[in-house]
This record gives sequence, structure tokens and C-alpha cells, in this order.
Amino acid sequence: METDFETIEGKSTQFSVLLAILAVLALAGLYATYRMYVEGIYLSGMTNRIPWGLQVILAVFYIGLSAGSLVISSLYAIFGKKEYKPFARISVFLAFLFLVAALLSIISDWGRPDRIFEPFYHLNPLSMLSINPFLYNVYMLICLVYLWAMFKEKEKLVKIIAPIAVIWAIGVHSGTGAIFGFVPRELYQSALLPPSFIAAALSSGTALMILVLLLLFKVTRRPLDENLVVRLGKLLAIFIVIVMYFVFVENAYRLYMPVSHEAGMYFLFGGFHSWVFWGGLIILGSIVPAVILFNPATVKRIPWIVVSCVLVVFGVLCERYIIVIPGQTHAPDLFPNMVVVSSALAEGYVSYSISFYEVLQALGVVGIIGFAFVLGLKLFKMMPTEAKVLKESDSVKSPSEEKELEKQTVAS
Amino acid sequence: MERREFLKKSGVLLAGTACACALPLLPAAAKSINVDSENTAGKKWGMVIDLNKCAKDCNACLDACRKENNVAMHGDKRWDIHLIRKVTLKRKHPAESPEISVPLLCNHCERPPCAQACPVKATYKREDGIVIVDHHRCIGCRYCMISCPYNARFFNYRENHEWPNKDNTRSSHGVPESCNFCAHRLDKGKKPACVEACEEINAKALIFGDLNDPGSDVSKVIAGNHVRGIREDFGTKPKVLYIGL
Repeated sequence: METDFETIEGKSTQFSVLLAILAVLALAGLYATYRMYVEGIYLSGMTNRIPWGLQVILAVFYIGLSAGSLVISSLYAIFGKKEYKPFARISVFLAFLFLVAALLSIISDWGRPDRIFEPFYHLNPLSMLSINPFLYNVYMLICLVYLWAMFKEKEKLVKIIAPIAVIWAIGVHSGTGAIFGFVPRELYQSALLPPSFIAAALSSGTALMILVLLLLFKVTRRPLDENLVVRLGKLLAIFIVIVMYFVFVENAYRLYMPVSHEAGMYFLFGGFHSWVFWGGLIILGSIVPAVILFNPATVKRIPWIVVSCVLVVFGVLCERYIIVIPGQTHAPDLFPNMVVVSSALAEGYVSYSISFYEVLQALGVVGIIGFAFVLGLKLFKMMPTEAKVLKESDSVKSPSEEKELEKQTVAS
Repeated sequence: MERREFLKKSGVLLAGTACACALPLLPAAAKSINVDSENTAGKKWGMVIDLNKCAKDCNACLDACRKENNVAMHGDKRWDIHLIRKVTLKRKHPAESPEISVPLLCNHCERPPCAQACPVKATYKREDGIVIVDHHRCIGCRYCMISCPYNARFFNYRENHEWPNKDNTRSSHGVPESCNFCAHRLDKGKKPACVEACEEINAKALIFGDLNDPGSDVSKVIAGNHVRGIREDFGTKPKVLYIGL
């Protein structure tokens, strides 16, 4: 089966309205970032005790989404599952855009975004925040080459670059996990964070891809075989279990070890973030979707899959929150045998609240990326005409068989 | 294009890209940080704080530091900057133990997590052991603040409009701040402002000097007392040590 790709028409009023809304969001974000650049980032909810806030949470969230969408394309390009070819272009395009979103979030969060080129001149090979930009930049390059190869239908190049892209994505996510894991704070320091970042990335990315695909095919009125979505849903179920396993091991270890017991208790039962953990990640983000996706009756129904995908994306966003924030609100106990009577700095447990300007910045990134995505669909041939499960007869053929076929067609 | 030829070409392309990406690493690896002044050459600065001599109601070191380094005070705990600050502590057991007042500042760790973390080497450790921020290179990512387990780093969240000491620089907003043992004074052969202030009022709770020189005041105090740094179990090897903590 040959998959045909085309652009979307993009002539309807709704299309223009959508672009306009996204543009307004982008401008709002630029405005907030400009204000912070001129006046200082006290406009955010961050403090001397909480130097990382919403933008960092979203940056690691976007990086995760980026990997997940790449996985969908790898199903076709590495594992040879041709029925997923219709999704391949969109998924790599999204992978690229999500990485741009992550970088935009981080850079808009800097105190001095005007020094954007400093990290290129002065690398610190010891710094996770120096290794990662290198990983991200090369990753974006790989995504672009990958996209180009798919647009030109260069099958061999696709076959070569797909495994490179996936291996590099694993590096990107391990590196991102290491930004937090390799920091001497009780709730950050962990060798498990790099692998668990990969797991969370896979689950959130797959879930978001399912949502994007369903939405796109519905809005543009294209036929989409529900069985394809069901298969992706079953894949998502496995990723959810892996994430839950990592979360369990990490917290069991923390509670068990005397040195981190107190921090572990604070993490699980210590305030707002504990609600985010239990309510957001565990119940809504993992258990409910897992029950839906493992239940043979519900996994076949598209509305149920949509519900579970939304919950998984929400759950992973919660997971990003509880990775970034509690590690800061809980500082190392500098004087283990003492009580702090008074201090000029907020000591002990502190709290973080998201400010209006941070929300504007976050919406701005959504606006920019959304604008680029919608416009990309109009400019490049990314939308498949249809997507369906292949029958045995026209499923993957070995290269030799294909050559035979070619010869026959040439001969005839 | 033949498969073999294609593989070869793409291999060369990839290797070339990798080399190009690694190029900026070379000068970074070759560069070492030197201390220009002869007053600091070959030294390893360190401080001992004798808590038995530090009065609870005395803020001489804090005031001197604020004046010397043009440190911003915004009147809000969230954004106030303290290169040196004081906390009042009490032992947990016994319950009725006396309160002690402890000055806290950058520990100038021998193994500084902040310098490891800095993506642009704006925070680095000088050869004389001082951990310092290059405010002209810093991008304001705040990873150093995340990495410092001692809460010794503060960020210029707002613009600082006070500039009492025109001999020293004033930071703009968007970069972090921490004690640098008054490196600009050390380079001229003077002591840090806080130490000088403490000596002026004759409290002598802050003892500063060269850890490499066994005859220096600070080395003698370390040799003759039980001193320890804060949470030495972090493995950061602090060079600010305390008596009576």
C-alpha cells in the first residue's frame, strides 16, 4: 500500500480564527517575557528558595512529549509496521516542535536571555545544563534530516536515521533526568531519574500523539481505522505500568533509607505537592487510565481511549511538577540537631505559587508552537489521506520480495 | 546511489557534524583560571567562625558586607540578598539550651556543586579557592542555586538602585549573587569587609587567612580547636569552618 500525503486546505474561517488565537497567545507570552527581561523575574512566583518554577516544569514536560511522538514514527521506520506510516511525518514534526517549545520555555526563564549564545562559546563539560543543550541541538538537527528524508521518500535514509534518532532521544531524556538527578538535594539526587524520565516521556508522548491524531483526522474529516488507535492504546498501557514501577521503587527506597526517610514522608504526605502526586499522578494519571486500557471492553472504545490519554498527559504534567517543585520546597537540613529560631531567609519548608506572568509565558510558548504546527500542516504535505490496519496480504514485505516486485513491474 | 557509497558518505557527514559540534569544547578544556594579583598567588583562602565570640545582637559583619558589596535589600524575604546572613539556632536536646547566633555565607567548597552545575563556567573556583560569579557571562539560569545545598546563593530578582560603594560593582537584575570573600579586596592585599568589621569592634569571631600557610591565624585556630563545616557529609569540603557548632 502506498501512503499519500497532502497539505490541509486551510481556507476555512475556523482555520484563520485558530491561527489568530494562537498568534495572540504568542504575543501575550512575548509581552510577559519582555516585562520580566526589563524589570526582573520577581514577576514570576519564584523566590530565593524556589529558583525554578513553571517554565522549567513545562520544559521537561515538552522534552518528554518530544520523545514520545518520535516513538510513533519509529514503529514504522524501525519496526517496519507500515500501517503507522501515515503518522510518521506528523510525529517527527511534532517531536521537533516540542523540543523548540522546551528550549523557548527555558530561555524565556533565564535572567539574561540576551546572552543566548554564551552556552555555545563557553561549554562546561561537567554541567548537565551544558551537556543537554548539545544533546538537544543535535536532536533537532536529526529530526530535521529525518523529516526531509521522509518528505523526499528516501526510504533508505529513513531506515538509517530512525534508529539514530531513537538512540539520541534516549540520550536526551537521560540527560534531562540527570539535570535533576545529579544535584545534591534529597528529593532530586537519584540515579533512577534518567531512566524514569524516559518512561514518563514515552507514556506522555504516546498519549498526546493519540490525541493529536484523533483530533486531526476528525477535524479534517479523514478516515482513520479505529484499530490503529486501539493498538497504540495498548502500547500506552505498558508505558503507564513502567512509569508506576519507577515511581514505586523511588519512593520505597526513599522511605526505607533512614537518611531520606523524612524527605520521603514530606514528599508523599507533606502538602499541596502530595495531592498532586496522589491525585494527579497516581490515581488520575496512572490507575484510572491503566484500568481503562487493560480492560478489553473499554480499550476498544475510542471515547474511553481519549479519556485515558488526556489523563495520562495530565498525570505526566503532575509528575513533572512533583519532580521540580518539592525538591526545592524541601531544602537539606543544614543543622540536623538544631532548631532554627529565626533567619533572614525563609527556612524549612516553603511553598511556590505560579504567577500570572508565568502563565502568560507558558501560553506564549503554546501559541508559538501551535501556530507553527498548524501552519506547517498547511505548507507541507504531512496529512495522510487515510490510515488503516493492513491486511496480511499487503503488510510488510522483505526487501528481496520488494525488489522482485519492482523487477516484475519494470518488465511488464 | 549505491548503498555502500551512501553509508560511507553519511558516516563522513555524521563524523564531521560531531567534530564541528565538539569544536567549542577545545578552548573550554584548555582554559585555566588564573589569579593575577601577587597578593593571592599560591594561597588557599579559608575562614573560621568562632561562635563563642559571636554576639547575638551584633550585625557588624552584615552591615559592612552590605555596604562594601552594594547588596540589595528589597524588604521582602523572597528577594532579599544576603551574601552573609545570621540565623539563630537552638539545640533540640536539652529543650532549655541557649540560643546561638550563626553567620552563614558561601562555604567556598573545595568541590563546589554550583561550579559543576554552571553551563557557561560563569561560576568557577579560582586557584586561591574562592568560588566566584562572572556577572558578565552568567545567563541567569539559576542552576547554581538549585545545586547549592547551603542556600548560599541569591538571585537579583529585581533591579538594585542603591550604590553606596562606587569602588565596587553593582549587579543588574537577572544574575545570582554570593559571597566571594571580597575577592576585589584580597587582590589588593586587604581582608574581607566582614572580617575587618569584626576586628574593628574587637569581637574577633571571624578569623580569615591562608590555609596553605601553617603560620597564618586561621591555620593556628584550626590546629588548636575542634572545628567543623556545615554538613560536611555532603562531600563538598567547605572552607568556612565553625567553632562551637
